[in-house]
Amino acid sequence: MSAAWVLGKRALREGRRTPDALLPTLFIPLFFLVVNVGQAAKIFPAASTEFLHGQGYGAFQLPSSLLLAASFGTAALFLVEEIEGGYFDKLRASPVPRSAIVLGRLIAELVKAVAITTVLVLLGLAFGISIASGPVGFVLLVALTALWAVVFVGFMQIIALKTRSAAATNSAGLVFFPLLFLTPNFVPRDLLTRPMEIAATLNPVTYVMEALRSLILEDLEWGTIAPGFAVVLALGAVMLALNVRVIQRYD
Amino acid sequence: MSSQPGRRLDSRTTDEGDDVAGVVELDRHAAVEAQGLVKHYPGVEAVRGVDLRVQAGEVFGFLGPNGAGKSTTVRMLTTLLSITEGSARVAGHDVARDPDAVRRAIGVALQEAGLDPRQTGRELLELQARLFGMSAQTAAGRARELLALVELEDAADRRIKGYSGGMKRRLDLASALVHEPEVLFLDEPTTGLDPASRLTVWDEVRRVNDRGTTVFLTTQYLEEADQLCDRLAIIAGGRIVREGTPARLKAELRERRGLAAEPTLDDVFLDATGRTRDRVAGDVQEVSA
Repeated sequence: MSAAWVLGKRALREGRRTPDALLPTLFIPLFFLVVNVGQAAKIFPAASTEFLHGQGYGAFQLPSSLLLAASFGTAALFLVEEIEGGYFDKLRASPVPRSAIVLGRLIAELVKAVAITTVLVLLGLAFGISIASGPVGFVLLVALTALWAVVFVGFMQIIALKTRSAAATNSAGLVFFPLLFLTPNFVPRDLLTRPMEIAATLNPVTYVMEALRSLILEDLEWGTIAPGFAVVLALGAVMLALNVRVIQRYD
Repeated sequence: MSSQPGRRLDSRTTDEGDDVAGVVELDRHAAVEAQGLVKHYPGVEAVRGVDLRVQAGEVFGFLGPNGAGKSTTVRMLTTLLSITEGSARVAGHDVARDPDAVRRAIGVALQEAGLDPRQTGRELLELQARLFGMSAQTAAGRARELLALVELEDAADRRIKGYSGGMKRRLDLASALVHEPEVLFLDEPTTGLDPASRLTVWDEVRRVNDRGTTVFLTTQYLEEADQLCDRLAIIAGGRIVREGTPARLKAELRERRGLAAEPTLDDVFLDATGRTRDRVAGDVQEVSA
């Protein structure tokens, strides 16, 4: 674990030194938030839209932006760069568990995601969004988003390790968009058409989004929050196991 | 070059030269041993049964044309590639069964200096030292020593992406030495360097070897092998085709071909790999085995 932490600190330093790679993870989700609210806010007025629980449509859309921010997977792109540049082999030739190499990046991703999510939520608060579940909800909101970031970057790291290609890894990241659009992204699940509702129900991202949304719009509704955490913990365990397996078999 | 204390006599070295004749087994173990080393990729047999024995304290040169299997062999010996068939021991540890022990005992500087361009030279060395189990304080001290050793103190706190090719090579070498390895693997350490940087790297290799580290060096530069190596092997088509001291290999070729003058290591290389000078003369003629 100490090797993973040492490598995690190195990955964090790498993130700090490449703000050009980090800034889009902040600005693009904000852009989507503004555009989506601008397009649909008039359709769903706060006063007469029950699912908004008295808040504006921006509060309903914030989880989409948080998930988008957490799904850039830049750590996996840094990993490919490291494979192509040869430093990855240098690390593999050192006497640390190979799992520490991927774990270090996942630790760094968790920390970065906490920072980016906090900034996004604070910006939301500045523009009138409130966290109905209070300070505990705020912490859970940030934690759930950051854990999703670890799941997604874990998936992208597997692609990076298997393909060793920046182009393939980058393309794999696009899988997030179908997953995002097959969630109750613009309206609650019960307002979707039947085929979309089925697709959303089968899509694990739906439960993460609903948990995030619940934390923003309602008090602590554990029945909605728990499935979101269950999804990230289950997928996180799978991604972690696959990451370790792939790096140990890396040849 | 090393004085090679503790060299042992075996059938291979006996055949190679007078310089080892009569030497008996001493207390030094073989630093690198490989038997029947094979590496298959789908549709390609990159290494086809390599046998090697490198004595502790030697500078051992591993030569061969592009694609001959040099880097693949080094990657297997350094635990970076799995072994398809055969076995290898490095610093007394089985590469396949105890890769962690091998990694603790070796330093590795591969082709194309593998460095993190976003770190500074100091940070990179400190990190490498931490990965070898040193405390933060010890790692900082070791990084200082190594920066001085490779004369990069002035650039220590600059990011590596701004380093020249020669500086990167020296830093890569320093990072491979952070834990004072028993065996140092250098894969084409001077490829792409200007003559001055190449000489600096040679000096470093000699200095490291003088301190007792066995050096396993791959190179395409025969002059480099001649200057640095106590013994060398030439690989072609995935098999070792010549092995011995540079002097012995030249003498063997002179005797076999009945040459009037002593051949160069280039001649030995061309002979071993089935090429001739005529076929490589001129700057546009194709070179083929």
